[in-house]
Amino acid sequence: MLTYITRRLLFLPVVLIGVTLMVFVVMSFLSPYQLVSAYIKSPEELKNQSLDDLVRKYGLDLPPHIRYVNWMRNLLKGDLGYSVSANMRVTEAIAQRFPATIELAMFSIIPVIFGGIWLGTISAKHYNKPLDHISRTFAIIGWSLPDFVFGLLMLMFFYGVLGWFPPGRLSNWADTVVLTGDFVRYTKMNTIDSLLNGRMDIFWDAVRHLVAPIITLSYLWWAFLLRITRSSMLEVLNKDYVRTARAKGLGERTVINRHVRRNAMIPVATVSGSMVLGLLGGVVIVETVFDYKGIGLLTATGAQQLDYTLILGTTLFYGLLLVLTNLAVDMFYAVIDPRVRLE
Amino acid sequence: MKAKYLMLFVVLLVVSVSASALAAPFDPETFVYISGAGSPQTLDPAAAYDTASGEVIHQIYDNLFEYVDGDLDHIGPVLATEVPSVANGLMSEDGRTVRVPIRKGVKFHNGADLTPEDVKYTLIRNMLADPAGGPQWMFFEPLLDVQTMADVVAMVGGPESFVDIDEVDAAVLLKAYEKVASTIEVDGDDIVFHLANAYPPFINILTKGGSWGAVLNKDWMIANGAWDGNPETWSKWYDLALEDMTCYEKANGTGPFRLETWDKSGSQTIYSRFDEYWQGPAKIKTAFIKDIKELSTRVLMLRAGDADGIYVGQDELEQVRDLPGVVVLEGLPQMTNTVLFYSFTIPTEGNEDLVGSGKLDGKGIPSDFFADVDIRKAFNYAFDYEAYLNEVAQGAGVIPKGAVPQVLPFVNPDQEYYNHDLKKAEEHFKKAFGGEVWEKGFEVGIVYNTGNDQRKTALEILEYNIKSINPKFKVNVVGLEWATVLDKLRSASLPVFVLGWLADFPDPHNFTVPFMHSSGTFAGYCGQGLIDLAKEEFDELIDAGIKATDPAEREAIYYDLQERYVDLAISLPFIEATTHRVMRDWVQNFIYTPAYSANFDFYTVYKEEK
Repeated sequence: MLTYITRRLLFLPVVLIGVTLMVFVVMSFLSPYQLVSAYIKSPEELKNQSLDDLVRKYGLDLPPHIRYVNWMRNLLKGDLGYSVSANMRVTEAIAQRFPATIELAMFSIIPVIFGGIWLGTISAKHYNKPLDHISRTFAIIGWSLPDFVFGLLMLMFFYGVLGWFPPGRLSNWADTVVLTGDFVRYTKMNTIDSLLNGRMDIFWDAVRHLVAPIITLSYLWWAFLLRITRSSMLEVLNKDYVRTARAKGLGERTVINRHVRRNAMIPVATVSGSMVLGLLGGVVIVETVFDYKGIGLLTATGAQQLDYTLILGTTLFYGLLLVLTNLAVDMFYAVIDPRVRLE
Repeated sequence: MKAKYLMLFVVLLVVSVSASALAAPFDPETFVYISGAGSPQTLDPAAAYDTASGEVIHQIYDNLFEYVDGDLDHIGPVLATEVPSVANGLMSEDGRTVRVPIRKGVKFHNGADLTPEDVKYTLIRNMLADPAGGPQWMFFEPLLDVQTMADVVAMVGGPESFVDIDEVDAAVLLKAYEKVASTIEVDGDDIVFHLANAYPPFINILTKGGSWGAVLNKDWMIANGAWDGNPETWSKWYDLALEDMTCYEKANGTGPFRLETWDKSGSQTIYSRFDEYWQGPAKIKTAFIKDIKELSTRVLMLRAGDADGIYVGQDELEQVRDLPGVVVLEGLPQMTNTVLFYSFTIPTEGNEDLVGSGKLDGKGIPSDFFADVDIRKAFNYAFDYEAYLNEVAQGAGVIPKGAVPQVLPFVNPDQEYYNHDLKKAEEHFKKAFGGEVWEKGFEVGIVYNTGNDQRKTALEILEYNIKSINPKFKVNVVGLEWATVLDKLRSASLPVFVLGWLADFPDPHNFTVPFMHSSGTFAGYCGQGLIDLAKEEFDELIDAGIKATDPAEREAIYYDLQERYVDLAISLPFIEATTHRVMRDWVQNFIYTPAYSANFDFYTVYKEEK
């Protein structure tokens, strides 16, 4: 397995260079005056701006290959450049925004995966019975709903009507403590930092802001996992060894938990890997609706504004994330299925 | 099983109760404004030139002057003790020397006292820094009759242009510094400005609302890495990237609020009250400006009381007009207009998507299509101003009278303007190009930047009306991404395009130059034809208008310019939009000032629960 991991990791720089080169080639089709829109974001900012001066100042008129070489040279020094849309260096922007995304993913992944598997199991257990239809309909509604619409409905209900779960990452009072006081931001994840700082009030405030996006993400993803779990479980339920287990007189719960679900989990694990990757990559719409400023929103804003340093930086980051997550999934695969050996 | 459900119920109950208990109560000392317009680009007054940056700087810094009670005609002193005028002897008869007595007893946020030297340092440092695309032209023009620091370098014998300032001879750089430094001097407790020519709106440029006039603390600036005042070193700070400038993300002003933090990842700025503020502390203790893109989220936060004011677009106002506890102030005048521009000389090669064949053959337009005044007049008469104002802008604005919005001085209210008259449009189309246009027809693409539906509709109105005049006339409304619009503007390749203009200071000069001067912003985007015409018709008058000190003389000049602009149908301002503010009903003492970038002045407003 070690050889396999080493080989995959050695391949990593090639993947990353390839991905960024591709982005750079695409960006090179844009003229310097198109790229300058990152600095003049709207017609109202046109004013007395000299487009030529801005192009010259920010080196947008340099040939693309020179810009790429410059970018690579800075990359080797650990500098991904300055993002005009994020108003900070790209590395800093990723370091600021990614923890928010990890925090959301970390809290979401448990209800998303366990909820989805649970629903899938129920559906399979009660195949073609009312409970199967109900859980499938429930989940499929979630899958069919545009995330924007469902997110807004959640926000309106939980915040607008009940006043429970507000948007943002923290309330104003908590923001003031976290951003301007002696509060130490160890991880930039509010829940963890608040515990490390011994501020339970901020911890609960952070949790309160996480609930609605988590519910939204969970509901939207459940149908996907339900479908995979259900079909996988139905396949396993028809296997001879399940029939044998039942014939031996084992209870239904034992049959499902020990013999069916575990074996049905292999495709679920693969799908879960991509779901984790999806969550870590940022969920732009959910972040937008709930004003949860994670890396998805950062990337989307950068792309809209043709902020090419940010686009390149986040592409590199996502590439890294993708390769590492896939590697982790492969390893996990080998753990849950003894038949799989990584070579 | 029953126990499980009971447990679930209890958990839900606890969560809901604790969540409700955590909901923020009414807080009279905290003010939250939620914009949707994006984050500031910089907090450095030398470079800030966008509304979001101006909004932040407004709360932290003071200028020498301010508009009293939102009245553009009434300027009062702030860090100055008097407003210079010829009558009070602080301004010379020729308007070229302006003396400003500086207030004593004013403290910066770091505890330092304000001195005249701070004012001088601020303005000199800002001009020497002159970041590309910044607002410093507003000081170069009145003080040295140039536009940029590079122009000053050329003026004292340096190269006409340079890529890197390090290439310029040190002696030239020293002379350039001396030229800039000679324009402002400290004389006892006063600052004395030496202007190149009379410049009536010079005081407006220094007045609050212009973030470029915010006063910095010299010692604090130097301690934080800014130019050290040495005449020989200024070029090290010249035209730096925004993020490398000293006040990019930190601030030390004399204003009523300190900047606590610019939380860039959270897209918000947080302010705390400056208790030593020389006019007395504000009633608001903590303030927030947040940027939240999603309107529904902003509206819900306003309803919940988590926001005291929010940004809502004109076409979205319906969503908040009838909300309980929400006040919508509408019809607030702005120093802005929205204009349809014509390009007088359009490149035809590589521009086929907009100009078709590039010939007057019914399948395109020639390069000089809009150089014909009859074409421009025909387009102007074809536009339905009333329909746009009432149906699209929902009545939020007025129909213009020329290039200068009517909220500004020296606009002739009796100036005849275009109206929707298809008969007249037809007459002009028949006259254009000796009747060829009417015979052969034309096809042209008219452009708006995608995402702006009001502008799109304006063009569709024009398209509909022009097509109705003659079936041979084909007008295609084309939406382009803003980046592409910029690219095509640079090469003056857009035959017809819509843009807005927001004034920097309340004077007609700030409209006549960009719209009508040969060196103005839009002349560059409208082709050589307009530049040539402007040189012939407008430049001399515009230059005379800004140098005249007699208001009657200025009025005559601007009336003349207004008439020429309309007669020659240079472009088509079709609305001077009004604006609005959306706030909770507990917000008191809101004062609207058309010249301010800030949507809410945290110093004047306070909260009182209804």
